[in-house]
Amino acid sequence: MTRLSFVLSRLAQTVLVLWVVATLLFLIFRLMPGNPLVAYIDPTFTADMERALKRQFGLDQPLYVQYGVYLQNLVRGEFGRSFFSREPVSQVLGQVLPNTLALTFSALALAYIVGIFGGAVLAARRGTWVEGWGIPAVLATRAAPEFWVGMLALALFSFNLHWFPSTGATSPGSMYASWWAQVWSADFVRHLTLPAVTLALYLQGLPTLLMRSTMLEVMDEDFITFCRMRGLPERSILLRHAARNALLPVVTAFALGVGYAIGGNVIVETVFSWPGLGRALIRAVAAKDYPVAQAAFFFIAVVMIVMNFVADVLYSVLDPRVSHERR
Amino acid sequence: MIKRVLRFAGVGIVLVLALGTVAQSQTQDRRVRELIVLTRPQSADPQEFETSRLVAPDFESLGLKVTVRVMPWEQMSDYVWYSRDKWDMTMWQMVGRPERSDPDEFAMNLFHSSTAAKGYNFVGFINPTYDRIAEAQRIKTDLKTRRQLIFEAQKIIARSAPYVFLVFPQSSYAYNNAVWDSSSIVEQRGIGLKNFWTFDAAKPKGSQKDMILNANDTVKAINPLFISGAADSWVTELIWDRLYRVGPDGLAKPWAAEKAEWLDSVTLDVTLRKGMKFHDGRPVTVEDVIYSFTAPAGDKVPMYKPFVTIIDKLEKRSDSVIRFTLKDPYAPFLTSTLAKVNIIPKHVWEPILANLAGKPENAESYQEATPIGSGPFKFVQWKKGEEIVLEANPDHFAAPKMRRWILRSVPNVEAVLGALRTGELNFLGFYGGDPQLLDRVARESGFLTVVSTMDVGMRFLAFNMRRPPFDDPVFRQALNMATNKKAVRSVVYKGYATVADSFVSPSLEFWYNPEVPRWEYNLAAAREALAKAGYEWDAQGRLLYPKGKVETLTGN
Repeated sequence: MTRLSFVLSRLAQTVLVLWVVATLLFLIFRLMPGNPLVAYIDPTFTADMERALKRQFGLDQPLYVQYGVYLQNLVRGEFGRSFFSREPVSQVLGQVLPNTLALTFSALALAYIVGIFGGAVLAARRGTWVEGWGIPAVLATRAAPEFWVGMLALALFSFNLHWFPSTGATSPGSMYASWWAQVWSADFVRHLTLPAVTLALYLQGLPTLLMRSTMLEVMDEDFITFCRMRGLPERSILLRHAARNALLPVVTAFALGVGYAIGGNVIVETVFSWPGLGRALIRAVAAKDYPVAQAAFFFIAVVMIVMNFVADVLYSVLDPRVSHERR
Repeated sequence: MIKRVLRFAGVGIVLVLALGTVAQSQTQDRRVRELIVLTRPQSADPQEFETSRLVAPDFESLGLKVTVRVMPWEQMSDYVWYSRDKWDMTMWQMVGRPERSDPDEFAMNLFHSSTAAKGYNFVGFINPTYDRIAEAQRIKTDLKTRRQLIFEAQKIIARSAPYVFLVFPQSSYAYNNAVWDSSSIVEQRGIGLKNFWTFDAAKPKGSQKDMILNANDTVKAINPLFISGAADSWVTELIWDRLYRVGPDGLAKPWAAEKAEWLDSVTLDVTLRKGMKFHDGRPVTVEDVIYSFTAPAGDKVPMYKPFVTIIDKLEKRSDSVIRFTLKDPYAPFLTSTLAKVNIIPKHVWEPILANLAGKPENAESYQEATPIGSGPFKFVQWKKGEEIVLEANPDHFAAPKMRRWILRSVPNVEAVLGALRTGELNFLGFYGGDPQLLDRVARESGFLTVVSTMDVGMRFLAFNMRRPPFDDPVFRQALNMATNKKAVRSVVYKGYATVADSFVSPSLEFWYNPEVPRWEYNLAAAREALAKAGYEWDAQGRLLYPKGKVETLTGN
C-alpha cells in the first residue's frame, strides 16, 4: 500500500464517519423531547403564528423530507437560518468562532510550550525532589475542575487584585477597525489572559506527562548512550538529541488536542463570559435551535476528524519507521 | 353433622370473600389515582422546584398520592401545551412586562374559553359568565366601569380556583450610586428599576457617563418587527419610539403622540409630536406612523400582526393627525397596541418588505446593519455574544443624560456580583441569584443601591380541568386550602415575594381587587370541604371519589 492509497482510504473513511455524525445529529435533536416552537409560547401566541413558524422552520414537512433537505444543504455547506436570530447559521457561528480560536490556540500553545519543557525537565530530574513535587502538581492542576480554577482566578486576579478584567473579550464600548486590530490590541490580550491560562492549566497535563514518559524511553536508547560515550555535554544530549526524538508523540497529541479543545471550551467561556462557540452551542441546544446546534456540533466533529487524519499522516511523515505496508 | 357445618362454613367463607372483593373493588374504582405535578429541574429554577416539593406533602395529607415529576422546560412546556389532556398539575410562571400592566392580556388569554383549545388557557377553564365579563372589559373605554369588570373577573377566578396562585416574586435590581444620581433612577410599578424611564433619565454624577449593565442572555436580534427575546426588547424600546409608553405608574401615557382623543368607542385621533427625526436625519411623518401600523397587517410580520388586526383603517387627517378606526371597541388599545408597535421609517422598510414579497423569508430574518429608529438612543455597535453599544440621541425630545448605554452579556452570576463591586458594571440589569446575597454585597460595598420591586408576573400551580378530579371546583378549592403560601413565601423566596390570590398583581393598585376570596392554609377545612362534597377515605386513608364517580384515568 502506497502512501497515496493510504491517504485516499483514510479520506473515504472520514467521509463515511462525517455522514454518520450528520445523521446522528439530525436524529438526536429531533428525538429529544420538546420542540422549538415552545420558545414562542406566550399569552399572545396564536394558532396562525404557530402555523407560520412551523412552515418557516420547515417543521411542517415529514421527517424524511426534512432529512433529505438537511443532507442536500450540508453537501452544499449550507446550514440554513437560525430559528431564533433568523440569521444564516454560518454568520451566527462565524461571529463567535474567531474568539474561540484565539482562546483555544493561545491556551494550547501555552500548554504545549510549558508541557514540553516541563516534561523534559521532569524526565531529566528523575528521582529528585523536582519530580516528587512536579508530578503531583501537574496531576492536581489537570484534575481540578475548570470552573473552580476559573472562579478562583477571577476572585483573586480580577476582583481582589484588579489586574485583569472579569468579563468579555474587550472593554465595554471599545471599537476596532477590524477583528485583527482587536486581536493584537493590549485590551484583548488583557481580557484573554485569565481564560487562556485557566484553559492551559487544564490542557498542560497531557503534553507534560507524555513528554516525560517518552523522554525516559528515549534516554534508554543506544544512541543516547553513544552520545554520552562521545562526551557530549548533558544539556546538549537532553535538548538536541533526546528531546527532539521524544517530541514526536507530543506533536500528534497536539493535533488531536486542537480537535478536543475546540468543543471543550464551554465551561471556560461561561465562567469568563467569553463570547465564543461553546456558549453559542449551549444557547442553541437549550432553545432547540436545530440549525445552529447541528452546525456547531458538525463543525466540532469535522475539526476532530480532520485533526485525527492529520495526526495519522503527520506521524508517518515524521517517523519513517511507521509504515503503511500491509503485514 | 360436622360435614354440614363445614359445608356451611365453606360457603360462608366463599361468600364473604366474594362480597369483600366486590366491596374492595368498588372502593378501588373510586380511589383517586396517583397525581403528578410537573416542575422544572432545580438547576433551572430552584424556587419552582422547591415550591413543588413543599406543597406535595400537604396535598398527600388529604389522602392523595402526589408525585413531583421533573422535566426540562422545553419538554414540560411542550407537554403542557401540546398534550392538553395528559397532565394533571403543573408549576408555571408568568413574567412581568410593561404591557402586562394592563390586566387585559391575563384576563383574556389565560382564562377565556376561546384560548382553551390551542391558546394559553391550557388548564381548560370554561365559564360563560367569565367569558362575557372578559369580553366586556375590552369594550368599555370608561376606566371605572372597566375596573369594576376586572374586579368581578378576579373574583370568579379566585372562587373557581383553576390555579393555586402562589406568589408575586420581587425582582431585585441595583445601581452604583457613586456613578448614578439616585434621584434620577425610576422605579416602575410591577417592573422594577430596569426600565425605559431609568435608562432615559439616569443622570451621571461624575466622569463615568456610560451605563454598563448586564444581561444573562445574549441579544438575538435588533429588529423593530420581531419579538425575539427578553433582552432584545430592552434594546428595541430604546432605539424605536412608540406613540404611547407604559409609564412608571403602569398606565399608558403619550410619548411620540402629543395627545390622543376618542371620538367614539372605535375612532381615535392621534396627534403626532412635532419636530421628531429618525437617526438618519429624515423627519418622522404621519406617513411613517401609518406605515408602522399597516406593515404588520400583511404576512411578513407575524409577531406584530395580532396587535394591529383590531385596526380597520388608518387615515391621515392633517400633517400631524392620524385617525385610527377600530373594527370593534377595544379598551386596552393604548397599552397593547399604541405602546407596543414601534414607529419605523417608511423609507427604510418599504423597499425591504417589497423585496421580501413572494419569498419564504419574512421581515424577522432581516437584520439592518445599522438599525434606524427615532428613539432616545442610537445604535453604535453589536459584538455578538458580548455587548451592544447605544449612544444618546441629543436631538431627541427626551434626550438621555448618559453618554452611552452598554449591555454586556454575562452568564456567570458570581462574575456579575464581582464586576459590580469593581465597577466594571454600574447597573445590575439581571440577577438570577440569591437576593439575600445581593443585599449583603451591596451593604459591604457601600456604593450599591438595591431595590426590590413586587412583580407584575406571578408563580402558580395550574390544574388540568379536563381531567377529574380537577373538574370539580370543590377539589380544586381543597387543594388551594392545602397550600401553605406563607411557607412558600418565607422558605422558598426568603421573604422576597408577596403571597398571591389573583392574576392581577397588588402592585397594580388600580386594577387589583383587594376583596378577592382568599384560601387560607387550613388542612382540616380542606378535608371538611371534601367530606361535605361526598368524598370519602378508604381504610388506608386514600381519598375516594364521591359515590357514583369512579376513576377512569390512570396515573402516567
